[in-house]
Amino acid sequence: MQFRLEKRAEVSRPMLYLTPVAAVIITMIVGAVIFSLLGFNGAIAVREIFLTPLTNSLKWQDLAVKSAPLIIIGVGLSIGFRANVWNIGAEGQYIAGGLAATGVALITHQMSGWWLLPLMGIAGILGGMAWVAVPAFLRVRLNVNEILTTLMLTYVAVQLLNFLVFGPWKSPFSFGQPQTVMFNDDQILPYIIPGTIVQAGAPIAILVAIFAWIMMGRSIFGFQVKTVGTAPDAARHGGFSNRQTVWITLLIGGGLAGLAGMLEVAGPFTRMVPQFPTNYGFTAIIVAFLGRLHPMGVMLAGLVLAISFVGGEVAQTTIGLPNPAVGLFQAMMLFFILAGDVLVRYRVRRVYHKKATGRDSDKKAGAEAGAS
Amino acid sequence: MQENERPRLQVRGISKQFPGVLANDRVSFSVAPGEIHALLGENGAGKSTLVKMIYGIMQPDEGEMFWNGQPLLVSNPKAARSRGIGMVFQHFSLFEALSVLENIALGMDGSLSMGELEKKVREVMQDYGLMLDPGRVVSSLSVGERQRIEIVRALLLKPELLIMDEPTSVLTPQEVTQLFETLRKLASEGCSILYISHKLHEIKELCDTATILRGGKVVGECNPAEETSKSMAEMMIGGSLKEISRGEDGALGDVLLKVNGLSLGRNHDFGTALADISFEVRRGEIFGVAGVAGNGQNELLEAMSGEMPAPREDAIILHGRPMGLLGPNQRRKAGLCCVPEERNGHAAIGDFSLSDNAVLTARHRKGLVKSGMVQGRAAEKYTREIISRFSVMATGPMAQAGSLSGGNLQKFIMGREILQVPEVLVVSQPTWGVDAGAAAFIHQALVDMAQAGSAIVVISQDLDELLALCETISVINEGKLSRAMPIKGVSVEELGLLMGGIHGTEETGERDRVENGAEKNGSGGIKEGKADAVQA
Repeated sequence: MQFRLEKRAEVSRPMLYLTPVAAVIITMIVGAVIFSLLGFNGAIAVREIFLTPLTNSLKWQDLAVKSAPLIIIGVGLSIGFRANVWNIGAEGQYIAGGLAATGVALITHQMSGWWLLPLMGIAGILGGMAWVAVPAFLRVRLNVNEILTTLMLTYVAVQLLNFLVFGPWKSPFSFGQPQTVMFNDDQILPYIIPGTIVQAGAPIAILVAIFAWIMMGRSIFGFQVKTVGTAPDAARHGGFSNRQTVWITLLIGGGLAGLAGMLEVAGPFTRMVPQFPTNYGFTAIIVAFLGRLHPMGVMLAGLVLAISFVGGEVAQTTIGLPNPAVGLFQAMMLFFILAGDVLVRYRVRRVYHKKATGRDSDKKAGAEAGAS
Repeated sequence: MQENERPRLQVRGISKQFPGVLANDRVSFSVAPGEIHALLGENGAGKSTLVKMIYGIMQPDEGEMFWNGQPLLVSNPKAARSRGIGMVFQHFSLFEALSVLENIALGMDGSLSMGELEKKVREVMQDYGLMLDPGRVVSSLSVGERQRIEIVRALLLKPELLIMDEPTSVLTPQEVTQLFETLRKLASEGCSILYISHKLHEIKELCDTATILRGGKVVGECNPAEETSKSMAEMMIGGSLKEISRGEDGALGDVLLKVNGLSLGRNHDFGTALADISFEVRRGEIFGVAGVAGNGQNELLEAMSGEMPAPREDAIILHGRPMGLLGPNQRRKAGLCCVPEERNGHAAIGDFSLSDNAVLTARHRKGLVKSGMVQGRAAEKYTREIISRFSVMATGPMAQAGSLSGGNLQKFIMGREILQVPEVLVVSQPTWGVDAGAAAFIHQALVDMAQAGSAIVVISQDLDELLALCETISVINEGKLSRAMPIKGVSVEELGLLMGGIHGTEETGERDRVENGAEKNGSGGIKEGKADAVQA
């Protein structure tokens, strides 16, 4: 007896929506088992990571702060993934966006005015776009795989960041600390909900997701992206350029990652420091897949991942769970969602091993095929 | 005599269920030793499923089979081969980079030294007139020659039953004649042949008995020699065939499409380059492009649709306007629409709704996109119009294209283009894998469209279809297009020679030789085929 995967005639809709939920639940169960084996109280670890951030209203503002960059980047990546364009270097574009915004902030440090933040925002977007333009050019012109180039450029971005904050951009008042000067008041995002730490990132994330939803669902561009991703030959026949799609989707992904970088550096960080890369760009890949590459799903998934970040910090203080544990949970989530994807397109069927003379077993297998 | 009483193969009450469809429903028939037995049916009638069970690729759900009177159990193809059942598939499994002999050696179950094998292979080739050099590399062979490898491979096992699955769909008429010679010789030596086809004139010419399948059931058995093609066709489709109705043979109008020395490099390693293609199509004309698969048909279609733009502006001229450098969108807007051969993934997207598939190619001419936004309602309305005007069996505009049967999807695709009323329509394999009813519908729609004043190019491997539809015909071979010939007065032999790559008069010696050969080897059957097609 053995198992076989059989392609479904049609994509299973229930599975499409059930698998992300199932992935989160299985992650909780397996996580609880693993941490129990490691000598922690697994059930409490899971509760602290996944439930406390929701039940403790003091943590809600943290969720808003953490989920905003994940959603902004995740929405951008999901558009590319829909077109089978695999930008996995959003982290690098996020850093490049942060650096571009920092550059503008340093140049305009002596100035004031409402226009400084929008200018930094534009710089952030352009920075992210510039960083992804290299892989886009290489992919379109020379057919270089963008998975490799986007990822490799992430490490270049990290080195560039270090070079700048250790060198030309180092603040003269930092007592040797590798960091830039603090931005001036007009270069730092204001708190939009009084008494909280929520800045412009959260509402921007919601706007980005809604805009992407309409664009992907209703516009001819969204249609183009889906067509190129689903059936490249049909897209060509329909008059949609593959190259153009690669360019635009990569620029959107890079631009949104760059915008997230600007919102972070002008928000929580208020200056550029070597600790700026916080893996938002990589985590956003999980967000995009967990959200089924749908802008609204990405919003929910961004929240789930933010919960795990915030909950990880809670668990660290309450039960002394090591910080990498959060990474373990997030990785499991991605693993289970991708494994679950198989069930969307295939179903598992039991087959009986056929012997050369096994007439009965043949009959059984045949009957089973008939029944399914 | 005793042998005649005991059939070589007897199939009794075989059923096979697939998810959603009963592919075989209590099928029974038997094949006598030395008999050439046809399995006749439309696409989807269950012929392939049936022979796959006989060859052990699938197992039946119910029913039994007997082999020379003994119960037959075949759990896999190897077991089938050891019992003396050989099969030649429609799609070959050959390694392009290896020689003929190496390919045969790889397919053998037993171990044999190369020397012995070559000797045996040469014997078989000699005995059955299968001319082939064992040392040739497969990639240099024509499709017909590749098929011979598969036949030799099957014959080496000295089969008592040889199953041939649609063997002639890739052959020129002359190659078909040769193949029939081989099969007749085999049968005369006592080997039974199960011959799967939907080409009636071939069955009339070759087969002793025909079992007719429809919707998975046996609907009749007949002696093809005593039936007319029309009567067999009607049994096959279960209704009467509608003839194509034409209005008056009006004079053709002005030139709508002019292709001028179109040359195009290969787009990938296994593609075919187009060389200096020129032709003209007039208003009201249906222009046919015949040819064996893989001779540049796909490239020609993509060159016409704009998916592969031509190197020169004036290589393609639509009603006086140069189109060569334009992409698919601009060509469509100008009135040049195309239907590629591959339905799923090229002409349409299986995962998308019919409405979205309408947006794919009709958005410009039907105004389905306004200021960057897809007009869902307009798209659904247009889709509904296609569904009703072209009798597409679908649950509605939101049905997934992939859920439609091949024939229905093809009707939808044809309707999507035809209802845009383009000046020029280029279609490739318009009825490939489509049931006879849908094919007749599509043919009628094309004729009507031409009569309404469009120019149509039909690229097809089905010679019967072209002979029935077209005013003018030419043949594509290795990326070159023959001169255009009026359909009246053109001979199937001539077309066959062109399909096989013998061009013009500079090779008259060769041509005469082959032509005479063809005449001798019973070209009557093929001529008859033409007559049938015209009459259908």
